[in-house]
Amino acid sequence: MIVAEELYKSFKRVGASRRKPAHEQRIVAVNSVSFKADDGCITGLLGPNGAGKSTTLRMLATLVKPETGTASIDGYDVSKHVLQVRQHLGFMPHNAGIYPRLTARENIQYYARLCGLNRKDSLQRSGELIEQLTMTKFADRRANGFSQGQKTKVALARALVHRPQTIMLDEPTNGLDVMATRGLRDIIRQLAADGHCILFSSHIMQEVAALCDHIAIISDGIVAIEGSLNEILGRTGQTDLEDAFVSATQALSKGDDE
Amino acid sequence: MSLFIIMLKEIVDNLRDRQTVFYALLFGPVLLPLLLGGSLVASFKQLSIDFDQVTTLSVANTDKAPTLIEFLYSNNIDVIDAPANIQSSVRNGETLVVLEITEDFGQALRDGAPAPLTLHVNNADKDSVKAARRVNTILNVYEQTLSNLRLQHRGIDPSVFDSLNVVENDVSSEGANGQLLASILPFLFIMSMVMGGFYLAIDTTAGERERQSLEPLLSLPLSRTMVVMGKYAATVCFVLLSSLLTALSIYTLFKFFPVELMGGQVRFDGATVTHAFLLVSPLIPFISALLISVSAVTRSTKEAQTYLGLLMVIPMAPFFLLQFLNIRSTLVSMPLPMLSQYQLLESAVLGDSIPTLHIILSVVGTLGATAILLWLAARLYQREKLLD
Ligand SMILES: Nc1ncnc2c1ncn2[C@@H]1O[C@H](COP(=O)(O)OP(=O)(O)OP(=O)(O)O)[C@@H](O)[C@H]1O
Ligand SMILES: [Mg+2]
Repeated sequence: MIVAEELYKSFKRVGASRRKPAHEQRIVAVNSVSFKADDGCITGLLGPNGAGKSTTLRMLATLVKPETGTASIDGYDVSKHVLQVRQHLGFMPHNAGIYPRLTARENIQYYARLCGLNRKDSLQRSGELIEQLTMTKFADRRANGFSQGQKTKVALARALVHRPQTIMLDEPTNGLDVMATRGLRDIIRQLAADGHCILFSSHIMQEVAALCDHIAIISDGIVAIEGSLNEILGRTGQTDLEDAFVSATQALSKGDDE
Repeated sequence: MSLFIIMLKEIVDNLRDRQTVFYALLFGPVLLPLLLGGSLVASFKQLSIDFDQVTTLSVANTDKAPTLIEFLYSNNIDVIDAPANIQSSVRNGETLVVLEITEDFGQALRDGAPAPLTLHVNNADKDSVKAARRVNTILNVYEQTLSNLRLQHRGIDPSVFDSLNVVENDVSSEGANGQLLASILPFLFIMSMVMGGFYLAIDTTAGERERQSLEPLLSLPLSRTMVVMGKYAATVCFVLLSSLLTALSIYTLFKFFPVELMGGQVRFDGATVTHAFLLVSPLIPFISALLISVSAVTRSTKEAQTYLGLLMVIPMAPFFLLQFLNIRSTLVSMPLPMLSQYQLLESAVLGDSIPTLHIILSVVGTLGATAILLWLAARLYQREKLLD
């Protein structure tokens, strides 16, 4: 389970002149992000490029510290109980980031060992994941030259290797073809059915609409609206997610102007 | 434990990289010693003259100076007749040097006047110069003998003319050649250590950032310090392996090195090489730490190579500094990493005694600097900017 409350994060603007006022020297990546993602649910973080999705996930994954606001994973505070959070969390970042000179199996085993599995268990666990994610064909090939879909599978397997309760995927369907996307969706649905909490970010409306039980729309670092698809449509008075998205973000910028 | 897992993975990963393996196991330990040692042997061979070795000398008008010819012969020089055209023969390199005895040589000798001799030499040709040096040396001795005879003939003690008697006393254990050789040893060791860890350090830090595999790695339940130390341990293994191989190849190479050429006691037996390796070994953790902390700052392998390329000047700096400035070992230079190892190794190869205090200072100074660098590397890995 993920709970985020009023997360805020800014970065130093590279090349900013020092004479400018302090607030102009920083880029606010995440302004005010609050949402909840339940166990057994697929939660989608929907937002355009630069909305702050990746930054939010990085804060939840304890890779960067929120400046203000709090968040917890399965009850562990991301700023205070870093190691427990990481133990309960499987994170697949935007880029697969797998090691090209290791085979798919070795890539998975490496992470299994680092998560504390012994040699025998890590062998068994990576074998399991290779079956589960249908990677048998390329499991013992070096990752150099893997297709995008193959890379994503390896990265997903690595994120799942320590059986985390909560799983976060940053734009996992990026670069995948129709069949691979469908395969990934099935895997995600299965994981949710097994009781895992799944948070995934995307900028594709249809995908979020098709897959998610719960949606948080983020724009300019602010979560504009949160709820199930029907709730969001009802509250914005629209009939499809795209229109709901536009109206929610417009309401947000109007609120800014006043 | 996770340190060990990371170390093992990085070693396996990098052993599959041809570039890393080439530089760590072949370039530093084998090619560099061969290149440097080989050219050194060649240059010594060229410079040194073996007066015991019989050689031939072309002489024009041999009949004009029979005593001189006999003297040359007694100094291991077989006289042969000069070619018809002396000048062009020497210029073309057909003959190295030609000694021309002039027509009036005998007459001048009998008159007690300076007897003219011409030595044709090609100064552009090293072999010709070397041959001329040998002939000149022998002629000088001959001249000395003649002068002494002339003076004694007139009843004068020849030593009257020796107003100065300069005796050169070389106090170093070895001559200049040994010195050069002694400073090449630490150079080889340090270069091979740097080359050994260079690509692995870059690949495991900057390379990991570039491949974007650092982000998922750091989200695993282990501390970032553990991650850096694992990478550091892998670098140490490569540097250690590379320097051990270097010790082995130096030992093998200098087994075939003509020690007499260097004029005496410089020794490269197993004991000396082992001693040298032990003295230089504190640099293994030091250089690894240096490589890791510098490449931890960089974003890409290219940037890391640029920085570390500049850093390569450091192992060469003491080499040139000591060549030209002749800085002596002092208590101040001993705690300085690299410089102290250069000086200690020089002394070790030359057979000079090394004070225990110097060794202690060198080890403590180098390991202290290592600790600081490691602390720095760990700090660098805590930055959020690491993921940019
Ligand atoms: N390390 C950083 N330094 C400076 N600015 C940053 C940094 N990380 C993110 N930003 C800025 O913060 C904002 C949000 O970035 P973020 O990557 O979170 O967006 P995103 O929603 O993931 O976008 P995308 O869909 O393109 O992946 C952007 O304007 C980005 O330029
Ligand atoms: Mg993103």
